[in-house]
Amino acid sequence: LGSKVLHLGHCRVSLSSPEIRAGFNAIKANIQARDPIRTLSILSHPHSLHKVKSSDRCCITHHLLDFYMDKVFRHCKTEDPFIDRRISSIANSFLSARRKLEQCHLQNQCACGQESREKLTQVLANYAALNVTSAAIKSLGELDILLDWVEK
Amino acid sequence: EDALLPAPQNISVLSTNMKHFLTWSPVTVQGETARYSVEFQGEYEREYANDSWIPICECSLIASTVCNITEDISATVAYNLRVRADVGARRSEWGTLKGFFNPITTSLTPPLMKAIADGYHLLLELEDMGPAFQFCVLYWKKDQESTMWQKLVKKVSSVVHLDTMEGGADYCVKAQSYVEAINRSSSFSQTQCLRAQGDRSMWL
Repeated sequence: LGSKVLHLGHCRVSLSSPEIRAGFNAIKANIQARDPIRTLSILSHPHSLHKVKSSDRCCITHHLLDFYMDKVFRHCKTEDPFIDRRISSIANSFLSARRKLEQCHLQNQCACGQESREKLTQVLANYAALNVTSAAIKSLGELDILLDWVEK
Repeated sequence: EDALLPAPQNISVLSTNMKHFLTWSPVTVQGETARYSVEFQGEYEREYANDSWIPICECSLIASTVCNITEDISATVAYNLRVRADVGARRSEWGTLKGFFNPITTSLTPPLMKAIADGYHLLLELEDMGPAFQFCVLYWKKDQESTMWQKLVKKVSSVVHLDTMEGGADYCVKAQSYVEAINRSSSFSQTQCLRAQGDRSMWL
Protein backbone atom coordinates (compact mmCIF):
# COMPACT_ATOMS: atom_id res chain seq x y z
CA LEU A 1 0.00 0.00 0.00
CA GLY A 2 2.45 2.63 -1.06
CA SER A 3 0.94 6.11 -1.23
CA LYS A 4 1.65 9.49 -2.73
CA VAL A 5 0.69 12.89 -1.37
CA LEU A 6 -1.19 14.89 -4.00
CA HIS A 7 -0.81 18.67 -3.84
CA LEU A 8 -4.10 20.02 -5.20
CA GLY A 9 -3.90 23.74 -4.61
CA HIS A 10 -4.26 24.23 -0.84
CA CYS A 11 -5.44 20.69 -0.45
CA ARG A 12 -3.08 17.81 0.34
CA VAL A 13 -4.44 14.28 -0.01
CA SER A 14 -2.63 10.95 0.12
CA LEU A 15 -3.62 8.60 -2.65
CA SER A 16 -2.38 5.03 -2.94
CA SER A 17 -1.59 5.76 -6.58
CA PRO A 18 1.25 3.23 -6.88
CA GLU A 19 -1.20 0.59 -5.69
CA ILE A 20 -3.96 1.84 -8.01
CA ARG A 21 -1.57 1.98 -10.95
CA ALA A 22 -0.35 -1.56 -10.27
CA GLY A 23 -3.94 -2.78 -10.11
CA PHE A 24 -4.81 -0.93 -13.31
CA ASN A 25 -1.74 -2.15 -15.19
CA ALA A 26 -2.75 -5.71 -14.34
CA ILE A 27 -6.09 -5.28 -16.20
CA LYS A 28 -5.33 -2.49 -18.68
CA ALA A 29 -4.78 -4.65 -21.77
CA ASN A 30 -7.92 -6.66 -21.10
CA ILE A 31 -10.07 -3.58 -20.47
CA GLN A 32 -8.74 -1.64 -23.45
CA ALA A 33 -9.32 -4.69 -25.66
CA ARG A 34 -13.01 -4.42 -24.78
CA ASP A 35 -13.10 -0.84 -26.12
CA PRO A 36 -13.45 -0.97 -29.93
CA ILE A 37 -13.83 2.80 -30.39
CA ARG A 38 -10.29 4.10 -30.56
CA THR A 39 -11.11 7.47 -32.09
CA LEU A 40 -12.88 8.91 -29.05
CA SER A 41 -11.65 9.89 -25.60
CA ILE A 42 -13.66 10.56 -22.46
CA LEU A 43 -11.02 12.50 -20.54
CA SER A 44 -8.88 14.05 -23.26
CA HIS A 45 -11.42 15.30 -25.81
CA PRO A 46 -11.20 18.02 -27.04
CA HIS A 47 -8.46 19.13 -24.65
CA SER A 48 -6.08 17.21 -22.49
CA LEU A 49 -6.39 17.31 -18.72
CA HIS A 50 -2.91 18.74 -18.69
CA LYS A 51 -4.24 22.07 -20.00
CA VAL A 52 -6.16 22.64 -16.72
CA LYS A 53 -4.99 25.46 -14.42
CA SER A 54 -3.54 24.33 -11.07
CA SER A 55 -6.20 26.25 -9.17
CA ASP A 56 -8.80 23.96 -10.71
CA ARG A 57 -6.98 20.71 -9.92
CA CYS A 58 -8.69 20.01 -6.63
CA CYS A 59 -12.21 20.53 -7.96
CA ILE A 60 -11.61 18.43 -11.06
CA THR A 61 -9.97 15.65 -9.07
CA HIS A 62 -12.87 15.64 -6.61
CA HIS A 63 -15.49 15.45 -9.34
CA LEU A 64 -13.59 12.93 -11.48
CA LEU A 65 -13.30 10.61 -8.48
CA ASP A 66 -17.09 10.96 -8.13
CA PHE A 67 -17.51 10.35 -11.85
CA TYR A 68 -15.52 7.12 -11.71
CA MET A 69 -17.41 5.84 -8.68
CA ASP A 70 -20.86 6.87 -9.87
CA LYS A 71 -20.64 6.18 -13.59
CA VAL A 72 -17.67 3.95 -14.33
CA PHE A 73 -16.70 1.17 -11.89
CA ARG A 74 -20.24 -0.10 -11.31
CA HIS A 75 -20.74 -0.59 -15.06
CA CYS A 76 -17.51 -2.51 -15.55
CA LYS A 77 -18.48 -5.84 -14.02
CA THR A 78 -16.88 -8.64 -16.07
CA GLU A 79 -16.99 -12.41 -16.26
CA ASP A 80 -13.42 -12.50 -14.93
CA PRO A 81 -13.12 -12.56 -11.09
CA PHE A 82 -9.50 -11.36 -11.31
CA ILE A 83 -10.53 -8.19 -13.12
CA ASP A 84 -13.47 -7.60 -10.79
CA ARG A 85 -11.14 -7.86 -7.78
CA ARG A 86 -8.70 -5.36 -9.23
CA ILE A 87 -11.57 -2.97 -10.07
CA SER A 88 -12.80 -3.34 -6.49
CA SER A 89 -9.37 -2.41 -5.13
CA ILE A 90 -9.21 0.65 -7.36
CA ALA A 91 -12.78 1.69 -6.56
CA ASN A 92 -12.27 1.41 -2.80
CA SER A 93 -9.01 3.37 -3.05
CA PHE A 94 -10.90 6.08 -4.97
CA LEU A 95 -13.57 6.08 -2.27
CA SER A 96 -10.92 6.50 0.42
CA ALA A 97 -9.21 9.35 -1.46
CA ARG A 98 -12.50 11.08 -2.18
CA ARG A 99 -13.39 10.99 1.50
CA LYS A 100 -10.17 12.80 2.29
CA LEU A 101 -10.88 15.29 -0.50
CA GLU A 102 -14.28 15.91 1.04
CA GLN A 103 -12.50 17.50 4.01
CA CYS A 104 -10.86 20.03 1.71
CA HIS A 105 -14.19 20.65 0.03
CA LEU A 106 -15.78 21.40 3.39
CA GLN A 107 -12.92 23.76 4.23
CA ASN A 108 -13.45 25.62 0.93
CA GLN A 109 -10.07 24.56 -0.38
CA CYS A 110 -11.57 22.84 -3.40
CA ALA A 111 -13.50 25.56 -5.19
CA CYS A 112 -14.72 25.03 -8.75
CA GLY A 113 -13.92 27.72 -11.27
CA GLN A 114 -15.40 28.25 -14.70
CA GLU A 115 -12.77 26.12 -16.38
CA SER A 116 -13.39 23.16 -14.07
CA ARG A 117 -17.10 23.24 -14.77
CA GLU A 118 -16.50 23.36 -18.52
CA LYS A 119 -14.03 20.50 -18.36
CA LEU A 120 -16.34 18.32 -16.24
CA THR A 121 -19.30 19.10 -18.49
CA GLN A 122 -17.21 18.00 -21.48
CA VAL A 123 -16.25 14.73 -19.78
CA LEU A 124 -19.90 13.97 -19.03
CA ALA A 125 -20.84 14.86 -22.62
CA ASN A 126 -18.17 12.52 -24.00
CA TYR A 127 -19.50 9.82 -21.68
CA ALA A 128 -23.13 10.40 -22.68
CA ALA A 129 -22.24 10.12 -26.38
CA LEU A 130 -21.76 6.37 -25.92
CA ASN A 131 -23.90 3.65 -24.41
CA VAL A 132 -23.25 3.23 -20.70
CA THR A 133 -21.16 0.07 -20.82
CA SER A 134 -18.96 1.29 -23.67
CA ALA A 135 -18.52 4.66 -21.99
CA ALA A 136 -17.66 3.04 -18.65
CA ILE A 137 -15.17 0.60 -20.18
CA LYS A 138 -13.54 3.42 -22.17
CA SER A 139 -13.30 5.60 -19.06
CA LEU A 140 -11.75 2.75 -17.10
CA GLY A 141 -9.30 2.19 -19.94
CA GLU A 142 -8.22 5.84 -19.59
CA LEU A 143 -7.47 5.57 -15.86
CA ASP A 144 -3.73 6.00 -16.46
CA ILE A 145 -4.45 9.34 -18.14
CA LEU A 146 -6.16 10.44 -14.92
CA LEU A 147 -3.36 9.05 -12.72
CA ASP A 148 -0.65 10.72 -14.81
CA TRP A 149 -2.45 14.05 -14.47
CA VAL A 150 -3.28 13.71 -10.77
CA GLU A 151 0.31 12.77 -9.91
CA LYS A 152 1.78 15.57 -12.01
CA GLU B 1 -32.83 -33.28 2.47
CA ASP B 2 -29.29 -33.22 3.97
CA ALA B 3 -28.98 -31.32 7.23
CA LEU B 4 -27.55 -27.82 6.75
CA LEU B 5 -23.93 -27.44 7.81
CA PRO B 6 -23.18 -24.97 10.58
CA ALA B 7 -21.59 -21.75 9.31
CA PRO B 8 -17.90 -21.26 10.16
CA GLN B 9 -17.40 -19.54 13.54
CA ASN B 10 -14.74 -17.43 15.28
CA ILE B 11 -14.00 -15.53 12.08
CA SER B 12 -11.29 -12.93 12.62
CA VAL B 13 -8.56 -11.01 10.82
CA LEU B 14 -4.93 -11.22 11.85
CA SER B 15 -3.19 -8.14 10.45
CA THR B 16 0.43 -7.29 10.96
CA ASN B 17 2.55 -4.87 8.92
CA MET B 18 -0.13 -4.43 6.27
CA LYS B 19 -0.45 -8.17 5.69
CA HIS B 20 -3.92 -9.40 6.43
CA PHE B 21 -5.14 -12.98 7.04
CA LEU B 22 -8.70 -14.15 7.60
CA THR B 23 -8.99 -17.11 9.97
CA TRP B 24 -11.91 -19.18 11.30
CA SER B 25 -12.64 -22.33 13.26
CA PRO B 26 -12.99 -25.56 11.27
CA VAL B 27 -16.41 -27.08 10.60
CA THR B 28 -16.09 -30.71 11.61
CA VAL B 29 -18.14 -33.53 10.11
CA GLN B 30 -17.31 -37.07 11.08
CA GLY B 31 -15.21 -38.76 8.43
CA GLU B 32 -15.51 -35.92 5.89
CA THR B 33 -13.43 -32.92 4.92
CA ALA B 34 -14.91 -29.47 4.88
CA ARG B 35 -13.88 -27.00 2.23
CA TYR B 36 -14.23 -23.25 2.61
CA SER B 37 -14.86 -20.25 0.36
CA VAL B 38 -14.20 -16.61 1.19
CA GLU B 39 -15.77 -13.40 -0.13
CA PHE B 40 -15.15 -9.73 0.64
CA GLN B 41 -17.01 -6.46 0.26
CA GLY B 42 -15.52 -2.98 0.47
CA GLU B 43 -17.30 0.26 1.22
CA TYR B 44 -17.52 0.87 -2.50
CA GLU B 45 -19.52 -2.33 -3.00
CA ARG B 46 -21.86 -1.39 -0.17
CA GLU B 47 -22.42 2.20 -1.29
CA TYR B 48 -22.23 1.96 -5.09
CA ALA B 49 -22.53 -1.66 -6.19
CA ASN B 50 -25.73 -2.96 -4.60
CA ASP B 51 -24.03 -4.50 -1.58
CA SER B 52 -22.30 -7.00 -3.86
CA TRP B 53 -19.72 -9.50 -2.62
CA ILE B 54 -16.56 -10.53 -4.45
CA PRO B 55 -15.11 -14.04 -4.24
CA ILE B 56 -11.41 -14.56 -3.58
CA CYS B 57 -10.46 -17.27 -6.06
CA GLU B 58 -7.36 -18.36 -4.14
CA CYS B 59 -9.65 -19.11 -1.19
CA SER B 60 -12.39 -20.95 -3.05
CA LEU B 61 -13.13 -24.49 -1.78
CA ILE B 62 -9.92 -24.64 0.25
CA ALA B 63 -9.28 -27.09 3.06
CA SER B 64 -7.27 -24.60 5.12
CA THR B 65 -8.89 -22.31 7.70
CA VAL B 66 -6.66 -19.35 6.76
CA CYS B 67 -6.94 -17.04 3.75
CA ASN B 68 -4.46 -14.34 2.74
CA ILE B 69 -6.65 -11.36 1.93
CA THR B 70 -3.85 -8.79 1.60
CA GLU B 71 -4.12 -8.40 -2.16
CA ASP B 72 -7.83 -7.56 -2.06
CA ILE B 73 -8.01 -5.55 1.16
CA SER B 74 -5.88 -2.78 -0.26
CA ALA B 75 -7.74 0.47 0.40
CA THR B 76 -8.10 2.27 3.73
CA VAL B 77 -11.86 1.67 3.95
CA ALA B 78 -14.05 -0.65 6.03
CA TYR B 79 -14.33 -4.16 4.61
CA ASN B 80 -16.81 -6.94 5.30
CA LEU B 81 -15.62 -10.55 5.03
CA ARG B 82 -17.48 -13.85 5.05
CA VAL B 83 -16.77 -17.61 4.84
CA ARG B 84 -18.93 -20.64 4.15
CA ALA B 85 -18.27 -24.38 4.25
CA ASP B 86 -18.99 -27.19 1.81
CA VAL B 87 -18.96 -30.87 2.74
CA GLY B 88 -19.89 -33.15 -0.09
CA ALA B 89 -23.19 -31.85 -1.45
CA ARG B 90 -23.96 -29.90 1.69
CA ARG B 91 -23.30 -26.17 2.01
CA SER B 92 -23.42 -23.95 5.09
CA GLU B 93 -24.76 -20.46 5.46
CA TRP B 94 -22.21 -17.65 5.35
CA GLY B 95 -20.37 -16.88 8.52
CA THR B 96 -19.58 -13.15 8.56
CA LEU B 97 -16.78 -11.29 10.34
CA LYS B 98 -18.16 -9.43 13.33
CA GLY B 99 -17.72 -5.75 12.56
CA PHE B 100 -15.62 -4.40 9.74
CA PHE B 101 -11.93 -4.65 9.04
CA ASN B 102 -9.99 -1.56 7.95
CA PRO B 103 -6.28 -1.85 7.09
CA ILE B 104 -5.58 1.25 9.16
CA THR B 105 -5.88 -0.99 12.24
CA THR B 106 -2.98 -3.24 11.24
CA SER B 107 -0.39 -3.71 13.97
CA LEU B 108 3.03 -2.36 13.07
CA THR B 109 6.29 -3.81 14.33
CA PRO B 110 9.69 -2.16 14.34
CA PRO B 111 12.00 -3.26 11.50
CA LEU B 112 14.72 -5.82 11.90
CA MET B 113 17.94 -3.90 11.60
CA LYS B 114 21.68 -4.23 11.94
CA ALA B 115 23.99 -1.32 12.67
CA ILE B 116 27.43 -1.63 11.08
CA ALA B 117 30.59 0.42 11.53
CA ASP B 118 32.57 0.29 8.30
CA GLY B 119 35.71 2.10 9.32
CA TYR B 120 34.38 5.47 10.48
CA HIS B 121 31.11 5.10 8.54
CA LEU B 122 27.97 4.30 10.49
CA LEU B 123 25.80 2.10 8.28
CA LEU B 124 22.43 0.44 8.82
CA GLU B 125 20.86 -2.60 7.25
CA LEU B 126 17.04 -2.47 7.36
CA GLU B 127 14.44 -5.15 6.74
CA ASP B 128 12.45 -4.68 3.53
CA MET B 129 8.88 -4.61 4.82
CA GLY B 130 7.23 -3.79 1.51
CA PRO B 131 6.41 -0.74 -0.66
CA ALA B 132 4.11 0.82 1.90
CA PHE B 133 6.88 1.18 4.49
CA GLN B 134 9.26 4.01 5.34
CA PHE B 135 11.58 4.17 8.35
CA CYS B 136 12.52 6.77 10.91
CA VAL B 137 16.06 6.17 12.16
CA LEU B 138 17.47 7.87 15.26
CA TYR B 139 21.16 7.78 16.18
CA TRP B 140 23.22 9.48 18.81
CA LYS B 141 26.50 9.39 20.65
CA LYS B 142 26.21 7.07 23.57
CA ASP B 143 25.38 8.85 26.84
CA GLN B 144 24.48 11.99 24.87
CA GLU B 145 20.81 11.26 24.27
CA SER B 146 20.04 14.96 24.35
CA THR B 147 21.54 15.29 20.88
CA MET B 148 19.88 12.86 18.51
CA TRP B 149 20.03 12.83 14.74
CA GLN B 150 17.11 11.63 12.65
CA LYS B 151 17.02 10.14 9.19
CA LEU B 152 13.85 9.28 7.21
CA VAL B 153 14.45 6.30 4.94
CA LYS B 154 11.78 6.27 2.23
CA LYS B 155 13.04 3.28 0.31
CA VAL B 156 15.02 0.35 1.58
CA SER B 157 18.16 -0.02 -0.47
CA SER B 158 20.80 -2.51 0.59
CA VAL B 159 22.51 -0.40 3.23
CA VAL B 160 21.79 3.07 4.57
CA HIS B 161 24.69 5.40 5.30
CA LEU B 162 23.84 7.28 8.46
CA ASP B 163 26.94 9.29 9.24
CA THR B 164 30.67 9.49 9.64
CA MET B 165 31.70 8.70 13.20
CA GLU B 166 34.35 10.21 15.36
CA GLY B 167 37.08 7.68 16.07
CA GLY B 168 36.74 5.97 19.45
CA ALA B 169 33.23 7.37 20.09
CA ASP B 170 30.33 5.02 20.83
CA TYR B 171 27.22 5.44 18.73
CA CYS B 172 23.71 4.05 19.26
CA VAL B 173 20.93 3.51 16.71
CA LYS B 174 17.23 2.65 16.81
CA ALA B 175 14.50 2.66 14.13
CA GLN B 176 10.72 2.56 13.72
CA SER B 177 8.60 1.72 10.68
CA TYR B 178 6.09 4.22 9.24
CA VAL B 179 3.19 3.69 6.80
CA GLU B 180 2.18 6.94 5.11
CA ALA B 181 -1.10 5.56 3.73
CA ILE B 182 -2.42 5.07 7.25
CA ASN B 183 -0.19 7.73 8.88
CA ARG B 184 0.97 5.42 11.67
CA SER B 185 4.30 4.30 13.09
CA SER B 186 5.53 1.27 14.99
CA SER B 187 7.31 1.43 18.31
CA PHE B 188 11.08 1.80 18.16
CA SER B 189 13.34 -1.18 17.76
CA GLN B 190 15.87 -2.27 20.35
CA THR B 191 18.83 0.11 20.47
CA GLN B 192 22.09 -1.12 18.99
CA CYS B 193 25.37 0.52 19.99
CA LEU B 194 28.81 0.18 18.48
CA ARG B 195 32.15 1.91 18.23
CA ALA B 196 34.32 2.63 15.26
CA GLN B 197 37.99 1.80 15.65
CA GLY B 198 39.80 2.37 12.47
CA ASP B 199 38.44 -0.30 10.15
CA ARG B 200 37.21 -2.75 12.84
CA SER B 201 33.76 -2.40 14.32
CA MET B 202 33.19 -3.47 17.86
CA TRP B 203 29.81 -4.29 19.33
CA LEU B 204 29.17 -2.94 22.80
